Amino acid sequence: MRSGVCSALPIVLLLGFLGCGTKNEARPDASLRSAVVVAIEGDVDSFNPLFAEDITAGEINDLLLPALVSSDFDAKSGQLNYAPLLARSWEYAHQHRDIIFHLVPGARWTDGQPVTARDVQLSFELYGDPEVASVRQASVDNLRPTSGNQDIRRGIEVKDDSTVVFHFVKAYAGQLFDAGLPILPAHIFQERSRKTLRTDPVNKTPVGFGPFTLSRWTALQEIVLQANPESVVPYPAKLSRLIFRVIPDYRTRLAQLESGEVDLVSGLRPEDADRIARESNQVEIISTPGRDYDFLGWNNIDTGTPAGSPGAKPKPHRLFGARNVRQALTMAINREELVHAYLGTHGQVAFGGISPLFRWAYNDSLKPLPYDPQRARLLLEQEGWKDTDGDGILDKDTMRFSFVLKVPAGSQLRTVVATAVQQQLRQIHIDMRIEQVERATFWQDVTARKYDAFLAGFSVPLQMQLEDLWGSDLDKHPFNLTGFRDARIDKILAAAGILSTETDGAALWKEFQKIIQEEQPCTFLYWINNIVAVNRRVHGTHIGVLGTNHRAWEWHIDTVGQAGAASSHKPADAPFASE
Amino acid sequence: MQERALALLKFLARRVLQAIPMLFGLATLVFFVSRLLPGDPASVYISPGIPPGVAEHLRSQFGLDRPLWDQYIAWLSAVLRGEFGFSFAHGAPVATVLLQVFPNTLLLGATAFLIECVLAFALAALAVRRPGSRFDRALSHLTLVVYSLPSFWIGILLLSLFSFTLKIFPSSQMHSVGVEDLGRLAAFGDLLKHLTLPALTVAVPGTAVIARYLRTSMIETMRQEYVVAATGMGLSKGRVFRSWILPNSLGPVISVLGVEIGVLLTGVLVTETLFAWPGVGRFAVMAIFTRDYPMILGCTLLGGVLVIAANILADFIRAWIDPRVRLG
Repeated sequence: MRSGVCSALPIVLLLGFLGCGTKNEARPDASLRSAVVVAIEGDVDSFNPLFAEDITAGEINDLLLPALVSSDFDAKSGQLNYAPLLARSWEYAHQHRDIIFHLVPGARWTDGQPVTARDVQLSFELYGDPEVASVRQASVDNLRPTSGNQDIRRGIEVKDDSTVVFHFVKAYAGQLFDAGLPILPAHIFQERSRKTLRTDPVNKTPVGFGPFTLSRWTALQEIVLQANPESVVPYPAKLSRLIFRVIPDYRTRLAQLESGEVDLVSGLRPEDADRIARESNQVEIISTPGRDYDFLGWNNIDTGTPAGSPGAKPKPHRLFGARNVRQALTMAINREELVHAYLGTHGQVAFGGISPLFRWAYNDSLKPLPYDPQRARLLLEQEGWKDTDGDGILDKDTMRFSFVLKVPAGSQLRTVVATAVQQQLRQIHIDMRIEQVERATFWQDVTARKYDAFLAGFSVPLQMQLEDLWGSDLDKHPFNLTGFRDARIDKILAAAGILSTETDGAALWKEFQKIIQEEQPCTFLYWINNIVAVNRRVHGTHIGVLGTNHRAWEWHIDTVGQAGAASSHKPADAPFASE
Repeated sequence: MQERALALLKFLARRVLQAIPMLFGLATLVFFVSRLLPGDPASVYISPGIPPGVAEHLRSQFGLDRPLWDQYIAWLSAVLRGEFGFSFAHGAPVATVLLQVFPNTLLLGATAFLIECVLAFALAALAVRRPGSRFDRALSHLTLVVYSLPSFWIGILLLSLFSFTLKIFPSSQMHSVGVEDLGRLAAFGDLLKHLTLPALTVAVPGTAVIARYLRTSMIETMRQEYVVAATGMGLSKGRVFRSWILPNSLGPVISVLGVEIGVLLTGVLVTETLFAWPGVGRFAVMAIFTRDYPMILGCTLLGGVLVIAANILADFIRAWIDPRVRLG
């Protein structure tokens, strides 16, 4: 019987050895102290920008395969600014319909081939080819002519190895934005089958020319980038290595941040951000206004009626079809309190559908509808909603004001907010039941309009292109999820789409917000800040509207180890420093 | 003797042949049930700013627009070719992806199984020294409680204590950052550190089960006349234990071990996600969320093969060591 004890002994000793012998070293080798480790929730979906949909994948691809131009967001004006990257300069021609780009001399792919104008041309051929089915296909829509592979060759003209001309069908605000896609190596991609490009192994071993190269990718574990010493676009990264560690569990990401195992974690919850800001002098919290908002979508139209087909006018929804009702719902929900309780200083009440980030377009003369349950009751009464049978729930023509709110599972914030909204609506005698739905199922139901109401989040695009979300043709714009149709909005969207300078549309967008505010097609809840925690040893970050890892080639680390020293993180609104 | 060996081989062959339709049934069931899930792999490309044609193209490229029976036959033929289909999310044959990560799961599972067996044996041996003693009763209650705890709860407890509070063991992944710069021995030590908590998470509930079975089996064996006789003849306790009690107690426990492999696989699924251990379990969970049907099927089939193989092996070993087991 002693054998039992003897068998257990090695295990106990081993655990003792592992546990007591060494403390949990964040970085076992001293040379790694010159690397920065970023914690990410999930693995990247592709190293080919043709197919990468994931945000982190997009940011990494930008570091490996730079675009013609680099963008930065100027928070003072609320606009994107562009600076040279692969293109050292550019000029406009033909009433701004053409842009002539001159490439940086001496740029080479990591396999030694020179980067030429042909690479630019082929890249856009691939982006636009329907057979490739790139997620960025829409970026070539405004190139002349508008369809087919051969056409794009005419839309993007190679003058010589270092000069390429983009011919657009019109001058419009987003020309540089659309031309700013990562460039792919033509000598590798021109011979590949476009039909099977998505699954081609070449996507896993990217050949780039950017400040970093891909050193190693271990699926679901880590992505290791290392500085590319040959890069001239813009220059070799200041860090020796940039490591992305896949850590799916939020608590584990936080624990590793606090223990120093990782340097940067994004997507912090407000309560954790505040705690870390209070307790840690090693970690800095950067909370920047974001482009993400949560809202309550009310189905404006009767489900099942034909939507968007010419001449067909969907019936209004039995509960939410009337403007007064939608206004009442918004006024019955205390959005200030929700922000105060769940976001604190990391968010603000939303309204109007345009982020305050875009200062030139944001209508600051408008204010959110006030929290006024009394007024909400009156508005509902005007629409005929009264509690006639005394059961505590409003009714009208034998129909009770009772509905289901669909909420995607997995978001703690949305779950608690849904519960708070349920209680507040109950106070004006509305019965709302909450149904948590698995994410894919949720989006399938909502895009198919199989819902009465939902709670979800959206991110507004960097370019003021809102047709997809608000266009009245519901077949063409399936992401107008509430089914809101307004001819005035359509006119604004059409007028803004042909402006050559984005800020010329300021008056249009302010009017747009006024209409949305009046009509309340949905109840905007709050804008959510992007909260990032970064170890103070990391300097030179540009965390902000354009992402967490934006311009990571400028990151460097404090080799002396000045924990608690003043931050040198560049605020997101800093003037763009041209290379 | 030769007759018994021949009968054992026939028994093994029969069980293997019986397993084939079981696996076929499992695969068919999972294929059709997975298609009942709402959404598909192209759903991720249904988003503002992405032309609707992209999702359609993807469906066509992966054959998702073909009738379900066509897709089923195509998948079956891929299985027969040993490819198990093509993973949408990973852009590679499922077999290739699984071959890359299965060793990680095997390492975790095998280590956990080893810990289970050793700890359970030690605990049972200690308990049967004095059946009914305070230790024996405490162990009996404790194993019942531990067995009732879900793996993820045990994992969170271990993480909180040993990783977040005491900072003794790492909280996730298989290796530390920069392990490639370490020497072989240091790298192995680093792997062991990362393996400890996930392996314990998987092993703890299994230990409780096996310890309970082994204890009961040992006590029953100790009551047998041949053990009483051996003790009465003045043989040492150790010899009686090694020569009679232990070998005769193992039979029923071996069957439990076979079943335990299946339970262990379920534990690995949860544990790999909690500890970011890059194994089949994590790939399976990701495949479910992204509706990567071929990957879901590949992981399920692999799990099915392992569970069935473990049960066949357990039955075979039991029949081999215990001549009383009928092979018919």
